[in-house]
Amino acid sequence: MELPFALLLFLVLIPLLSGLLLPLLAGNDAEKIKTFTLGITVINFFMSLLLLVGYDFSNSAEYGLVFNTEWFSSLGLTFSFGVDSISIWLILLTTFLMPIVILGSYSAVTERVREFYIWLLLLEAAMIGVFVSTNVIFFYICFEFTLIPMYFLIGIYGSSDRLKAARVFFLYTFTGSMLTFAGIIYMAWCNVAAGGMWDFGFAALSTAHQNMSDSQQLWVMLAMLAGFAVKVPIFPVHTWLPLAHTEAPTSGSVVLAGVLLKLGTYALIRIAIPMLPKAALAVAPMMGVAAIIGIVYAALICWRQKDIKKLVAYSSVSHLGFCVLGMFAINVQGLSGSVMYMINHGLSTGALFLLIGMVYERYHTREMAQLNGLAKVMPIWASFMVFFAMASVGLPGLNGFVGEFLTLLGSFNSILMGPVYAAVAGTGLIFGAIYILYMVGKVVWGPLKLPEGHDDHASGGASGGHHVTDLNRREIAVLIPLALACLWLGLYPNCMLKTLDAPSQAIVDRVGLEGHEQPLGPMHRHVENPLPTHPAQLTVLDHTPSTDIATAQLPGVHQ
Amino acid sequence: MEIAKFIPWLPLLAAILSGICCMKRSLRDYASWIVLAAVAASFGLSLIAAKHITPESGPQVVHFFEWIHAGSFKADFSYYFDTLTIIMLFVVTGIGSLVVWYAGGYMAGDKGYARFFFAVGLFIFSMTSLVMGDNLLMLFLGWEGVGLCSYLLIGYYYEKPSAVAAGKKAFIVNRIGDLGFALGIFLTFKEFGSIQYVDIFNQTAHLDTESATSGMKIIPYLLMLGAFGKSAQIPLYVWLPDAMEGPTPVSALIHAATMVTAGVYMIARMMPVFLLSEYALTAVATVGAATALFAGLIALCQYDIKRVWAYSTVSQLGYMFLGVGVASSVGGVFHLFTHAFFKALLFLTAGSVMHAMTGQLDMRNMGGLRKKMPVTCWLMFVGCLALAGFPLTAGFFSKDLILGDAMAKGIGDHNGWIQVLAWSGILTAFMTAYYTFRLWFRVFCGPEHYVMGDDHHGDDDSHGDDHAHGHDDHHHHAPHEMPFARMNLPLCFLAVGAIAGGFLCHHWMESMVNASSASTVNTAVEHVATTVGHATEHAVHAGEVAADVHAEAGGHGHASLFGMDVHKAVMIISIIAALAGIALAAYFHLLRRELADKAKENYAGVCDLLENKFWIDELYDTAIVRPLKLMGDLFFVFDRLVINGIVALVGFIPRLLGITVRHSQTGVLQGYGLGMILGLACILLMVTWMLSSGF
Repeated sequence: MELPFALLLFLVLIPLLSGLLLPLLAGNDAEKIKTFTLGITVINFFMSLLLLVGYDFSNSAEYGLVFNTEWFSSLGLTFSFGVDSISIWLILLTTFLMPIVILGSYSAVTERVREFYIWLLLLEAAMIGVFVSTNVIFFYICFEFTLIPMYFLIGIYGSSDRLKAARVFFLYTFTGSMLTFAGIIYMAWCNVAAGGMWDFGFAALSTAHQNMSDSQQLWVMLAMLAGFAVKVPIFPVHTWLPLAHTEAPTSGSVVLAGVLLKLGTYALIRIAIPMLPKAALAVAPMMGVAAIIGIVYAALICWRQKDIKKLVAYSSVSHLGFCVLGMFAINVQGLSGSVMYMINHGLSTGALFLLIGMVYERYHTREMAQLNGLAKVMPIWASFMVFFAMASVGLPGLNGFVGEFLTLLGSFNSILMGPVYAAVAGTGLIFGAIYILYMVGKVVWGPLKLPEGHDDHASGGASGGHHVTDLNRREIAVLIPLALACLWLGLYPNCMLKTLDAPSQAIVDRVGLEGHEQPLGPMHRHVENPLPTHPAQLTVLDHTPSTDIATAQLPGVHQ
Repeated sequence: MEIAKFIPWLPLLAAILSGICCMKRSLRDYASWIVLAAVAASFGLSLIAAKHITPESGPQVVHFFEWIHAGSFKADFSYYFDTLTIIMLFVVTGIGSLVVWYAGGYMAGDKGYARFFFAVGLFIFSMTSLVMGDNLLMLFLGWEGVGLCSYLLIGYYYEKPSAVAAGKKAFIVNRIGDLGFALGIFLTFKEFGSIQYVDIFNQTAHLDTESATSGMKIIPYLLMLGAFGKSAQIPLYVWLPDAMEGPTPVSALIHAATMVTAGVYMIARMMPVFLLSEYALTAVATVGAATALFAGLIALCQYDIKRVWAYSTVSQLGYMFLGVGVASSVGGVFHLFTHAFFKALLFLTAGSVMHAMTGQLDMRNMGGLRKKMPVTCWLMFVGCLALAGFPLTAGFFSKDLILGDAMAKGIGDHNGWIQVLAWSGILTAFMTAYYTFRLWFRVFCGPEHYVMGDDHHGDDDSHGDDHAHGHDDHHHHAPHEMPFARMNLPLCFLAVGAIAGGFLCHHWMESMVNASSASTVNTAVEHVATTVGHATEHAVHAGEVAADVHAEAGGHGHASLFGMDVHKAVMIISIIAALAGIALAAYFHLLRRELADKAKENYAGVCDLLENKFWIDELYDTAIVRPLKLMGDLFFVFDRLVINGIVALVGFIPRLLGITVRHSQTGVLQGYGLGMILGLACILLMVTWMLSSGF
């Protein structure tokens, strides 16, 4: 099936326009607004499914559905869209989660309803914008724009300490991103300084490193990390996350954990690593160490939490550690596993936040001391909780395992890391089980205990008053798709993995890391030789690439 | 043969259907029949598979669908059938069917009836996947899957805090071993370039201890960690005794017959890799023998019937490890096979006793139940005979084979350590016979007395009306026999296996195991033979019982003990040990009970140590759990005060400035930004430092 390139444009424009025009299109009636928004996001999901069905994955190392149009061409600014398999899966994650989030917050949001849905739609547009962009400026605009809807979602609809959380979230991530922006400009300038044009397209920037010295690359890399590492977040710049997560409304937490954190990892895998190959090799071991510290440190913190939501929030820090670890292993298993992990974490952690939200709506508390043994009064909820907890601890057969296994395998076999990295990170498997089962053991199992004012009758049939009922149809409908997706990706992850081989291999080739098992493509030999095999040897080839560029441009100069 | 790939999937389907049954009360009772039908059907399919896979046919791989491919890494849902797979399938689906049959009656009337069978169906799926997978990752899938089911079923009575804690403990302790297993898989991929058995075995066929790389020699040590976790060996055995919080059929099926033997299966399966390392198998044997002895000691002084069987299981698993550890795969797998029968029988009869006594498990509160529960009494007696290694029972043949092989290897290799292990195995055999019959005499013999339990079946909302087997409700006052067709009949099959499984199966077992990847005949024994300086000869002494029939005798043909053939000598010694153990138990617990009490008083310190299980749980708690918790607390404080504090502190500077310049609250916010930058600057410094040393 031939896909129209405008599909990508539609994916961004539909939520953007319907968000902006929501007051006109749906009026002020809350029910109408909810239905309308849900409809829009569902349509968007089905449109993104077209990508999966119609996209030609056979050549998935290249961008497909490329679309360029002039903006400020003199400044190198274009609207350029395109996708490869990595971005397609992340787009799907986004469009898949949005209807779920919207349906999930039907009853949670009762005030300023219209505004809420407008922000959600704009957020979706911005997130998809990040994933379809092939121009770093447009990418950056979307990347930063996500802060604004999120700021309001937390600040207006959050819990008691929401204002502080919203401001910390905004300033923390925004400050880092400023440095990133400087880095991006500097990269483009390096191209210009070498005689090129201002061009912020991914393609142009990915050759910029040839005009940069090792230390220049390193500084730009650090600038990028300033923004991206905060977003992920990587230890030790993670402290905004637990606060933001805990204070955000359920929908905000789901989107935050599900997609927004992935913007950071996506940016690393899309921009930081391939565009600054030598710097990527140089910082990889250190990033690995940071990731591992994050995994163990956050997992142990989780174990000592008393608030369920805070526990899951810290678990994100731990989980994203695996993602970063695999990515900086820079081999096919690590990179593919890392992308897989992004998707899986979005599904299982998103589901956990939804489940916690459902309990919060009933009991208005998230304290484990006050909520025990809910299996007795909410068996359906309990079943889902155990299911997603298992997905989260990486039980084979469910989705979480695949990414976890591949990222660890990648780091084990990476010449940048090695068995010790994998072994220490692997303790995350144990600690992950400890804190998740600690939570499940308290909240789901054990003798029933409810906050005061709630009837602790075991009879599920009674309703009204303070009787708490199990999940209703809407809530089950929210969770079922997530559960099915977890199961599907756990049992047949290959539908995703086989599309990720090529882009992962492309990144490996680009970084020029000669893994002991991956033969390097001919393209690569053409650009850089001799091939670096170890970070320590990288200094040798500082000059060759830039002369390549210079000679390539000579004919043009003569004319 | 293609049809055999559905063996795991039928129980999974049944599990899903049971899950649906959970939702409707009226459907609840169908769950057991659905699962029973599916497991029995899987057993039927295993029989079909067994027709195709014979010792002569060689292994066969049945591909189902792709699972994880990334670069050169490949792991699929494909199934590897060799004779070892067939044996394991028989155990899992065969014993599984019988236990499900029994459980249908045992669990009747329980609120979570369908939930129980959901987990059991899922368990059979995982366990069959475990034994059928054609690569290490499928093994791992099953491995973790059975762990989940174990977790769910131990915590089945979820309102009991002790059950919840036990489930959690089982899962986490297993995870510790699983980390080793996972690292073993990584290393296998690195060294062999594949994790599929076929690829690995093709390479190991051309390798021996000299030509194997040092990486390859580490693999077994990592894998055995996983095995020690799953099969409850020292130091990871602590979860299994607690796992008895689950319903008794679960203890029988998962925590005695099948799941806990997965570690033995794994080592048998990966035997070619274990043989590449000089000391790995010795390490396995040492841990096995030590666990057997240690758990046997604890079992001597326990009063809870299920706990006695639990420690006994740990101890018997130790035997199996000793078996595979002395390269006697036949012995190890044979004992796995016979143990499945008699231990399942013992647990289920214990379950019947518990059921009859409304939850009473303390043997001090019961006695002389022979008259009240005659069928159960004699069924358990059969199981006890087999466990004690009474001559000609199933347990006798398999245990003897292990001990004989161990002794033969020790003497043949002039390895004093292995001989020590073998002797400790014989000592354990004596203790086993003693504690087994201690229990039986205490429960069924002597003057009749009983104190009914306070039934903790947990079905508090179903009082009265829906007790399916209709014999009583919770208010009866005397123990009673179980219904025959629903509960005792499946036990009779197990009893037949416990009696006859040994002499009927040992030839078959030997040819089956030696035709599988677990075979040590062609590799190890030849190797042993050449190092000892003897030519390999397969000394098959046909007609002699058990011991000498074993083909592996090749390398050890000349070994002798007390002037006799080793196997023969060990057999005689262990018969004596078993009979002595039974006699001692009879003396102390049947004839002169007052002497037992007196002995207990005289050795109060020892008894205290054993009753409290050497304080190992407390030791682990103090040495590992608490420090980790403390670390978690420290990290949390560090996170809030130090890491966040740096941010806040830096945020305070502009605020201070702000007081002098202008009264603005936004100073705090800028502070966060500033803090960010400062933090990043620190990182930058670290990086430059790292780089300057790296470049």
